[in-house]
Amino acid sequence: MTTGISLVRENTESMQPPRALWVSFPLGRPLGKPGDAAFQHRVIEAALDLLSEQSGPVLVDYPEDTPSAPVDDAPACPVSFAKPANDTDAWTTALLNELQTLTPWHDLGRRRRRGRTLVGVSDFSITENLQKLGQLLDDNELPTEELNWFKGAIEDAKVFYIEALTAQPGDYDYAQIEQIYWRETRMGAAVLRFSEMFLEDAELSAFARIIAPRTVSN
Amino acid sequence: MVRLNDLADYERAHLLAKNLPPLGPPAWVPPTKEIAELRIALITTAGLHFRDDPSFEFADATFRPISGSEDANNLVMSHSSVNFDKVGFAEDVNLVFPVDRFRELEADGKIGSLADVHYSFMGAGLNPDAYEESAAQVARLLKQDKVDAVFLTPV
Repeated sequence: MTTGISLVRENTESMQPPRALWVSFPLGRPLGKPGDAAFQHRVIEAALDLLSEQSGPVLVDYPEDTPSAPVDDAPACPVSFAKPANDTDAWTTALLNELQTLTPWHDLGRRRRRGRTLVGVSDFSITENLQKLGQLLDDNELPTEELNWFKGAIEDAKVFYIEALTAQPGDYDYAQIEQIYWRETRMGAAVLRFSEMFLEDAELSAFARIIAPRTVSN
Repeated sequence: MVRLNDLADYERAHLLAKNLPPLGPPAWVPPTKEIAELRIALITTAGLHFRDDPSFEFADATFRPISGSEDANNLVMSHSSVNFDKVGFAEDVNLVFPVDRFRELEADGKIGSLADVHYSFMGAGLNPDAYEESAAQVARLLKQDKVDAVFLTPV
């Protein structure tokens, strides 16, 4: 028997799995609220209850929403990017400077999460990766022969930034963190620059879609 | 929230393009046990794995086993999509892979038991039929583990 969470009701309606609980939560958050065991238990219980149904397929709407935290209540961002590195700076210098600024916050966040970190998909350190990414941009080159390395490097960088930007405890508005990353950091700007370069490459244009969200790239 | 009417046109079109007909004839298994007697496994399409395991490729129908006895806080995510939130998962592994919640249900006697091994796929870049072989393999493994029911989480 299977039961589970549906995040996009229309997809589940069309494919008709035996049992599904549709939730209105954002993509990436099937259990609704991080750090809220009681909330998560209510979602799980509603999905497990579907295992008692005598006939199907069953698609049930979960009644509870997850109101996003009001932006005014969101904890202050621990890092100021008010004066980003100058556009004329080399990418390598700018990325490594930014990394240096964020590292103490990442350390703090990691301690708060009792050592947990999502960094480590790449086989190389964050410093090695940012150095190499910066060098590629300074040379105006795409990593055409190292796409797997590239994807791991930018994903590690993204979670490093998320973990640093959310170093303070609190219920962060994820949209705000996304906005800071893509609009205010040099790393976000670097990935958007790579995205533009991939879009201009006839053979690799599709790759642009898996490095930056459609909401921030063109 | 994911109500399609709240999304931008291109985002809505992208998600609606994933609507597909049912995979085959309806596969309905009627319940034969109470929920409190079920042995349950978790399966996610979030691209989770332990750091030492191979990362998922951009389009990848393979799966990774997740031992129920290991600390889920050591899981990482190599999902090729960038169009979902990772901030919440960075904060709490249970938001996507609620193994601690299921351990609590097991301890409280609300489910029978938890499987020895759970499974992770990476749900991007391929249509469901590409997963047929690996899904059948996981089904055999679940049977071997005497699992009665599976709890599925997407991202």
